[in-house]
Amino acid sequence: MEPILEIRDLNTSFLTSSGEVQAVRGVSFKVEKGQTIGIVGESGSGKSVTSLSILKLLGSTGRIKSGSIRLHGEELIGKTRKEMRQIRGRRIAMIFQDPMTSLNPLIPVGEQVGEMIWAHDKSISKEERRARVLELFEMVRIPEPVKRLKSFPHEFSGGMRQRVMIAMALACKPELLIADEPTTALDASIQDQILKLMQQLQHEIDMSILFITHDLGVVAELCTHVLVMYGGLIMEEAGIDDIFERPMHPYTMGLLDSIPGLHQDKSQLLKPIPGSPPDMIHPPKGCPFAPRCSYACRVCLEELPPYRQVSERHRSMCWMLAPDAPSEGNPFKGIGSKGAVI
Amino acid sequence: MNKDVPVLRVQDLTKHFPAGRGKVVHAVDNVSFQIPRGKTFGLVGESGCGKSTCARTIIRIYEPTGGKVYLGHDDISILSQKELLPHRQRMQMIFQDPYASLNARMTVHDIIAEPLRAHGVFASRQEESERVNDMLAQVGLNREHASRYAHEFSGGQRQRVGIARALIIHPELVICDEPISALDVSIQAQIVNMLRKFQQEQALTYLFIAHDLSMVRYVSDEVGVMYLGQLVETCAADEIYATPLHPYTQGLLAAIPIPDPKVAREKRAAGLEGDLPSPIDPPSGCRFHTRCPHATERCKAEVPSLKDVGAGHCVACHLIND
Amino acid sequence: MNNRWERVSLSQEESERIFRKARSFAGDVWFRFRRKPTALLGLILALLMVLFGLIGPFMTPYNYSQQETKLANIPPLMTVYPGPDDSYFFVTEALKVIEVDPEGHLVRQLRKKEDDAKHKQTSFKYDDDTSVVLDYSIKPYVMLDEYGQRIEQGVRKWNASHLLGTDHLGRDILTRLMYGARISLMVAFIAATVNMLIGILYGGVSGYLGGRTDAIMMRVVDIIATIPLTLYVILIKVCLDDGLISIIVALSSVYWVDMARVVRGQVLSLKNQEFVLAARTIGSSTKNILLRHLIPNAMGPILVTVTMLIPSAIFMEAFMSFIGIGIAPPMASLGTMCNDATEALRTNPYQLFLPAIAICIIMFAFNFIGDGLRDALDPKLKK
Repeated sequence: MEPILEIRDLNTSFLTSSGEVQAVRGVSFKVEKGQTIGIVGESGSGKSVTSLSILKLLGSTGRIKSGSIRLHGEELIGKTRKEMRQIRGRRIAMIFQDPMTSLNPLIPVGEQVGEMIWAHDKSISKEERRARVLELFEMVRIPEPVKRLKSFPHEFSGGMRQRVMIAMALACKPELLIADEPTTALDASIQDQILKLMQQLQHEIDMSILFITHDLGVVAELCTHVLVMYGGLIMEEAGIDDIFERPMHPYTMGLLDSIPGLHQDKSQLLKPIPGSPPDMIHPPKGCPFAPRCSYACRVCLEELPPYRQVSERHRSMCWMLAPDAPSEGNPFKGIGSKGAVI
Repeated sequence: MNKDVPVLRVQDLTKHFPAGRGKVVHAVDNVSFQIPRGKTFGLVGESGCGKSTCARTIIRIYEPTGGKVYLGHDDISILSQKELLPHRQRMQMIFQDPYASLNARMTVHDIIAEPLRAHGVFASRQEESERVNDMLAQVGLNREHASRYAHEFSGGQRQRVGIARALIIHPELVICDEPISALDVSIQAQIVNMLRKFQQEQALTYLFIAHDLSMVRYVSDEVGVMYLGQLVETCAADEIYATPLHPYTQGLLAAIPIPDPKVAREKRAAGLEGDLPSPIDPPSGCRFHTRCPHATERCKAEVPSLKDVGAGHCVACHLIND
Repeated sequence: MNNRWERVSLSQEESERIFRKARSFAGDVWFRFRRKPTALLGLILALLMVLFGLIGPFMTPYNYSQQETKLANIPPLMTVYPGPDDSYFFVTEALKVIEVDPEGHLVRQLRKKEDDAKHKQTSFKYDDDTSVVLDYSIKPYVMLDEYGQRIEQGVRKWNASHLLGTDHLGRDILTRLMYGARISLMVAFIAATVNMLIGILYGGVSGYLGGRTDAIMMRVVDIIATIPLTLYVILIKVCLDDGLISIIVALSSVYWVDMARVVRGQVLSLKNQEFVLAARTIGSSTKNILLRHLIPNAMGPILVTVTMLIPSAIFMEAFMSFIGIGIAPPMASLGTMCNDATEALRTNPYQLFLPAIAICIIMFAFNFIGDGLRDALDPKLKK
């Protein structure tokens, strides 16, 4: 089946006063119909930049240096601003961490959602538009939707605003929804509500979701596939169960280990990943995780490992998966020989 | 010092802010708890529940509206800021935002040395330098980092500088105001481990504020759950997850995303519905009744008090208390 | 490559290494500042003006008060008549004839030999044998040689003795410009510094203490701000004696109002930031919190306000000198020079334009610097 979105070897940089920040350094992945793909990573891993690159919302300092982004086989790189505007909202919608900055504080929210519909389809009458907005508000479960149409953004709570943003994103029935940490700024109980809403919407609407987050718990609740990013690269890609049960990258393993579960033994220390994330102005030559990795070998510091296929749609970038990797102290003993370079 | 006297005892602490037009924000209302030496009290709740205000009122960034705060034997809530000054050595605070909590115009050395200078601990620069370098080493940084400015560090490194600043004058009580919520997952564990290491070495007492329940359970001995300015449940840390009694605590627990897809698929227990009401004119009776699935008429009318239901497990709920 | 699988364990030190170049706040600002061409241009112009005012006076043979009335109102570009022996003659407004050498230096004034009132001719002695005649019977006057032959109005020559000409009292304009720039910049810098100090202290205390103190202190500022600045400055000037000190006092006591407001706003927003709260919980003294935390972090907007304040102080000084209540003569200031020149505006416009241009350059320079600083300090552009 043809993927909805296919990204190949994406490289994105930002120019700052300290130098060129190589935020994304060769990212390739596919989003297929009906999938919810989670991109997990820490700050500076390039996860947000990847999503912003898709819609070319990089601001004045960001540049897509190379790569290809195809929406149904149609290349997005090289499209003009005007062409991109046609794609944004209508075919790919995006919601952000802070809904307040994406909403105009001076216009009632109902009108703002209506405008979104109007901008992409000018043939719809005012009444139809209102009905459609109402329908959307009901869809995202905003209580008392009729009354809320005329409310201003500041009259909403954070969770309600995010619901408005989702309604706006769904206004033109996009094929792909990019959600950039939509629940990070929200409290646990509100985050839970939004996640439940997104799960319900997934079933109701036929839409793929690219969900960017730093929280593995959120990923577990919502996603079908996960990309783990670090240092501007995808370290590991796998189905949701594989990532949690059979992580094939020391970084993923470290991430899983450093969260205290509700059953964590309190007498034991947590297992943190030592050190700090790399400075992307001077990205490391080899594996970006090598300086913090307890399995690191000389080769890890010198050469970037190739991706190896561990199982179907489970690939990982780690030298420990190489057939000639030492078996002693190898977390993937026995699996390494199966992995073929891809 | 007497071992039986808790390091911190908070009694009916209340903090109201004027909200204009005669209205009042009930940020903290009648909060009482105590922390024995060497223990950690975790304070959890959603944003706006008053947990940070509570911490800031204890350490007197805000002046309390009512109630008492005892640091050891001393009632510090009645002291003037000037009288409080010598007591400030005994309690320190670690802040949430590692970017905003360090002065961008100061070197790391100056930041860490500030408490020493404020209390005139060392007369000579030499001794001060040694102490600062020693502290840097304890938080996993080194001498070379001392002359750098804070903005050159990563979030985790900055937070460690914040810890070094708080611990350099050997306080008894450290208030950790969401010290890890702004950090990446892999860094959070580093900071938590470091805080635990210092606690064991120096018998520190922590008031640990967070919204991440699993982290709070892990670091705390006792946990207090706050809702709209009031403590609704306090008990031993393990118990709050094993047998949460207050409907709010139950809802909060159900809302935590669990990093295990199998459990997540089966979970789907009811989370909390609706939004937090405004702390200006909070709901009558039990403040949680507007969102509580079990609310009765009595909950709307009568304020439940925090009652011990056995083994130090206190709940403020009519349904449990009867 | 047999050791490629050799385990490496990185030391703590290595994993905590900071790659980013150590750059102080000032370094960071400078980096952004110099990327803006107008800001850099402004800085260069301002430095040139400062050098002009400071070093210039030592490079010229003249003095700001040195008069030579016979050489009054000589323009920088003279129209000269060729005379004998490669020499040239320049006729002044007062119909005096001055000998000019081929390079344009003024050599001497020719002695009057004979005044023929009947023919309206005056002859001037060049040397023992030769003389030139000025015939003012017709207008404009013409120069005749000693044989009564009309000398064709000749070449235009640059005044090499007074590069920018002289004023109505025969003082060198270039020299006076240097002294004028010096006075203007000095007044501006001192006024700006004093304003900055008063403003920081007043605004800092007001913002930090807050509450009723803040309300009272800000009402005082509001009252001062309602009086038109110009009027206020004039009133102060009237009460004090003329002279440099009084003008500095006048300017310094007024402009701090803006600064106080800026500082107060900054302090208000900074004092609830976590690093200030941290300093309070540590037990730092109020003095330390103000001096080490609040003011250094408010320095950006303060600097911008100061650089913007300098041109207005210069303008105010020039304005006061222009209306005659500023710097007392014979001291030169750009304003007094403009004032002096207004009378002769029609005949000698250069005397007004030169100091006016100098004022313009200084104002532009500091405004550009202020603009550049604002951009360089803007936290929104950071990242």
